[in-house]
Amino acid sequence: MTTKTMIKQTISVAAVKAISDRYDEPEWLRQARLAAWENFVAMPWPTYKEETWRRTRLTGFHLEDFELPQTEVATFDDRQHLPEDLREALDKIDSAGALILQDGQVVYYEFDDSLARKGVIFTDIRSAIRTHEELIKVHLAALTPADENKFAALHYALWINGAFLFMPKHLTVDKPFQVLVLQSAGVANFHHTLLVGEENSEAVIVEDFIGSRQGMSDSVSEVFTKQAARMHYLRLQNLDESAWNFSTQRASAGRDALYRQLQASWGSKLSKVWIDLELEEPGGHGELLGLYFPQDHQHIDHHTNQNHRVPRCTSDLLFKGALDDHARSVYQGLIRVWPGAQKTDAYQKNDNLILSDHARADSIPGLEIEADDVRCTHGATSAKVPEEYIFYLMARGLSRRTAVRMIVQGFFEEVLNRVPVPGVRDKLEAEIAHRVGIE
Amino acid sequence: MTAVLEVKDLHAAVDGKEILKGVNLTIRQGEVHALMGPNGSGKSTLGYVIAGHPHYEVLEGDILFNGESILDLSPDERAKLGIFLAFQYPVAIPGVSFANFLRAAVSSVRGYRDRIREEMERTGQFKEVGSELIPMREFRKELMDTMDRFNVDRSFARRYLNDGFSGGEKKRGEVLQMAMLKPKIAILDESDSGLDIDALRVVADGINKLVADGMGALLITHYQRILNYVKPDQVSVFYNGQVVLTGGPEVAEMLEEKGYGWIEEHLEELQSEKIAS
Repeated sequence: MTTKTMIKQTISVAAVKAISDRYDEPEWLRQARLAAWENFVAMPWPTYKEETWRRTRLTGFHLEDFELPQTEVATFDDRQHLPEDLREALDKIDSAGALILQDGQVVYYEFDDSLARKGVIFTDIRSAIRTHEELIKVHLAALTPADENKFAALHYALWINGAFLFMPKHLTVDKPFQVLVLQSAGVANFHHTLLVGEENSEAVIVEDFIGSRQGMSDSVSEVFTKQAARMHYLRLQNLDESAWNFSTQRASAGRDALYRQLQASWGSKLSKVWIDLELEEPGGHGELLGLYFPQDHQHIDHHTNQNHRVPRCTSDLLFKGALDDHARSVYQGLIRVWPGAQKTDAYQKNDNLILSDHARADSIPGLEIEADDVRCTHGATSAKVPEEYIFYLMARGLSRRTAVRMIVQGFFEEVLNRVPVPGVRDKLEAEIAHRVGIE
Repeated sequence: MTAVLEVKDLHAAVDGKEILKGVNLTIRQGEVHALMGPNGSGKSTLGYVIAGHPHYEVLEGDILFNGESILDLSPDERAKLGIFLAFQYPVAIPGVSFANFLRAAVSSVRGYRDRIREEMERTGQFKEVGSELIPMREFRKELMDTMDRFNVDRSFARRYLNDGFSGGEKKRGEVLQMAMLKPKIAILDESDSGLDIDALRVVADGINKLVADGMGALLITHYQRILNYVKPDQVSVFYNGQVVLTGGPEVAEMLEEKGYGWIEEHLEELQSEKIAS
């Protein structure tokens, strides 16, 4: 019998260099990693004195508790040979391409050749560095820089892989691209999402985050929506409820572009998610949708920014959450209208449905307006399920549980009916039904 | 068997304030019993208490359905017995479609849910989600047929429950629910209020059809107007938390002529007559 000793690789500058060595990275990337590590070291750990961290504490979070991914993962050439749960996850959506990553390694990949011939690039970032280094170099960290926050800095120091989509000009792909991001237990994973929609292109991307028991997910996403492009990005966070989740997301909208995002935050023990929308050229439109339904002691924190830098842009944000047990949610949002951004039309709404006496939702919507010809509306609600609703439904023969379930499902409908992919909608409905408890 | 709902010496309070002060009333299947009274006399409270609203506390008396007390039953259990309350102000529930809600309600009231649960317990095997509901095709056909028969626009099915409905649409919606759930006894709380003449005709026509099918109705109303369209078998006058007078259709005519003021003036006579009888 042989005993194999695993050397636990911890988070350190040595680990940063080791990643560059292991993948024989180009010099610019090596330097970027080291610079990010320096940023990470230089930035203090968050304290409650920072506005963004006032309601979310990292009590019990220790970086040294997590390992960096080491082991090789099994890979599959044929969808039919995938483990059943993964195959089923892929089969739910009729996709133009599918990518499964586990701890940054490609488990499975498929992509329609005819789209590749039209100039679409859909692959993992690691492969794209080999085949399209310039594209990666131009876009990586261009939207979300490494000094954005401490977790973004850590991400850029230690990321291994991610999803890359490049949509060439004037091309529309109707079917969604699907990415499954799997994370092993106890591992710190740094998934990067890089989506580039060139002029007048259109694409839908669905990304599922799964696993990470006792682990940590520290993801960054960057979505470039160039002139008149239309990008639809659906992020489904289904991590294990023991996972720590940090996510820094930013999307830009160019002239007359449309950017639409859904963030569904179901899993994790604690989530801190920053979502920034940059309206950079006139005529851009952004929609940010959010869903969450924390239970037990889950803590879900979304911090959004709708940045109107130029005139004639519109943005529309709707985040809805139900909270049960001892769960907590924080929503903090800002509509920022920069000087000169006239004819801005911005909307921001956060609604919370409280299902337990011990649950708590904090909602802090905000406006910062430095232009005078704008329309900005924001609002937040937090309420229990109205007893009058329950009585009305019970008087029609529904049990109390069924009545509450219907009301909760109805509450989320306003977001669900804006989800553009039926397969995703079904998954979201099933998750809500599961959480509210089918009789 | 003809179902009978009997209210016996019912006293009920809300927030510690007694609203019903000894109500006696009988409603039989196949009959229309009109309950008339001035605003604030407690008519709506009676409807809520019969339907089992948790906010109201029964202090004394009883409500019997076919001779058995229903006071310990939850609102959904009462609905399953065949008791229906058409609300004066139906609540709007955003995101819940009329069709989905009604399918769940019909399935529950007709026992689909209970049967599936019993079967699962007996066989130890789980049924797929949705099997506790009336089959979709069967339900849709019945819903469409019922909407046509009761002059309710088919677009109702897709709309969210009472959300953005006009006053008249809400009342039609209540009649549609009643027609689908087929209660034995329905309490109609001001189903005529706020309706124009066309909507009133549709609602009254719906009630008449259901009564002809065998439903019993307690028609709570402030005005005599709806009684021009729905002929009552009995009329009771409600005043200050009590039924002070019960008779045939002539009572409504008398009220129309003399007004509620007459009741107030003759209250003592009426009460002593009741005690004497």
